[in-house]
Amino acid sequence: MKKEVIVEVNDVSMVYRRTRHRVSSLKQTAIDTIKKRMSHEDFYALTDVSLSVSRGETLAIIGRNGAGKSTLLKVLARVLPPSQGRVIVRGDVAPMIELGAGFNPELTGAENILLYGTLLGRSTVVMKSRIEAIAEWAGLRESLDVPLRAYSSGMVGRLAFATATDTTPDLLLIDEVLSVGDEDFQERSKARTVEMMNSGCAVILVTHDLGAVETMADRALYLEAGRVKATGTPNNVIAKYHSDLHR
Amino acid sequence: MPVISQVKAIYESRDLLRILVARDLTVRYKRSVIGIWWSLLNPIFTTGVLFYVFNTVFKARMADGTSFLPYLLSGVLLMTFFNQGLTMAADSIANGSGVLTKVYVRPEVFAASATISSSINFCFGLVPLTVVLLITGKHPGIKTPLVLVVMFFLILLTVGMSLFMAVAYISFDDSKSLIAILLLMLQYMTPVFYPISVLGPHTLRVIKLNPLTAFLTVFRDVFGNNGSATLGTWAYMVASSLVIFIGGLYFFMRKWPKVVAKI
Repeated sequence: MKKEVIVEVNDVSMVYRRTRHRVSSLKQTAIDTIKKRMSHEDFYALTDVSLSVSRGETLAIIGRNGAGKSTLLKVLARVLPPSQGRVIVRGDVAPMIELGAGFNPELTGAENILLYGTLLGRSTVVMKSRIEAIAEWAGLRESLDVPLRAYSSGMVGRLAFATATDTTPDLLLIDEVLSVGDEDFQERSKARTVEMMNSGCAVILVTHDLGAVETMADRALYLEAGRVKATGTPNNVIAKYHSDLHR
Repeated sequence: MPVISQVKAIYESRDLLRILVARDLTVRYKRSVIGIWWSLLNPIFTTGVLFYVFNTVFKARMADGTSFLPYLLSGVLLMTFFNQGLTMAADSIANGSGVLTKVYVRPEVFAASATISSSINFCFGLVPLTVVLLITGKHPGIKTPLVLVVMFFLILLTVGMSLFMAVAYISFDDSKSLIAILLLMLQYMTPVFYPISVLGPHTLRVIKLNPLTAFLTVFRDVFGNNGSATLGTWAYMVASSLVIFIGGLYFFMRKWPKVVAKI
């Protein structure tokens, strides 16, 4: 039986316009127009990237800093619309990228769970019924009615992680396996991440931890300067990456 | 039509819209009743200053003998709704990097929620306006529910304009000061503190082109009967807001992928 393809990326390129000057202003644009000078240059963050991941499969993306890994993850999370090419995602996405987006310090823990969950595309009704369980898991039951500004950064991280992982997605996007909070919570959050990865969804994992790639991933993709340099089994791709690094 | 799918997407995000409006109101009023009245201090103060300047210093009188205070306050309230909503909506997108580049949401929903929050503020403002009407021997009148129609279309107009503005803010760092001047012009082109009847024919034509003039005329007509709106005024209000709303959505849809990386 052929496995259901969850995410398909076809020839995606991401072009940024980099202005020659530090800031882009109307004044500068007007001057450049009059002087018939190009005020910007194109910068390709991704060039012709294609990939596909099926249900139950884990793809690891490796590469140097600035190779375009995070940009690719943001394209997959549909946060950045690709300049060229197509991204098709079938089902719900759980982006474990920069957790806690939209948290408001003036709102209480419970209100923030509701806000964040809704921002992640879940229904308010479902989120309302999950508040207690999320707070319980994060160990923040007593602080639910306290404004977030009274939380420590560890508590905020725990709340964000617990809310973000309170779902069974079809596609899981991970930017480094996160570790938040104290030692005990780090263990639990890592266990929960692995549990989610093994729940049968498609997983795309960006990491510098090559040991994790070998143990967790079914396939790997090596990104260099926005282009796919190698794909295949983790061992082969890591070998290629290593030989480039030490050249 | 792509714009229709955009409107549909906003409608499908109504859960988020509701949560965002609740967030805005909770944060603004900080769970206190004083907070609500605090937010009315600005329009009431503005009205007080303008009233003193024109009524006492310049000794201006409305040509047809209507009282100046409710005329002025209704203008200030509607302009506060528009200005506040527009600024907050455009900023919510232009300064939205904390959310918009991290989770998958339609930025238009943020503009809509900011405008709706501002429209709720406006509703609180109807209380002091009613008081002023009663003091001057008038009352809101039977057409009052039509205020909701005015609010609905003013939300559309504001959201549409804010989408143009947000793209300009992101694209050019110095566009903010330029737009501030244009908005000030627009404000003076709206008969907030002067009656339309004092204008010459050329000026009048320009002032009547301003959609906000139509909004204000209709609002004054339906709430307290301080103006007379014709069917044409209503039609211009509805048509202009629809055009700007749809134009804003279309423009934003085209430009957003190009500017998102800049925020």
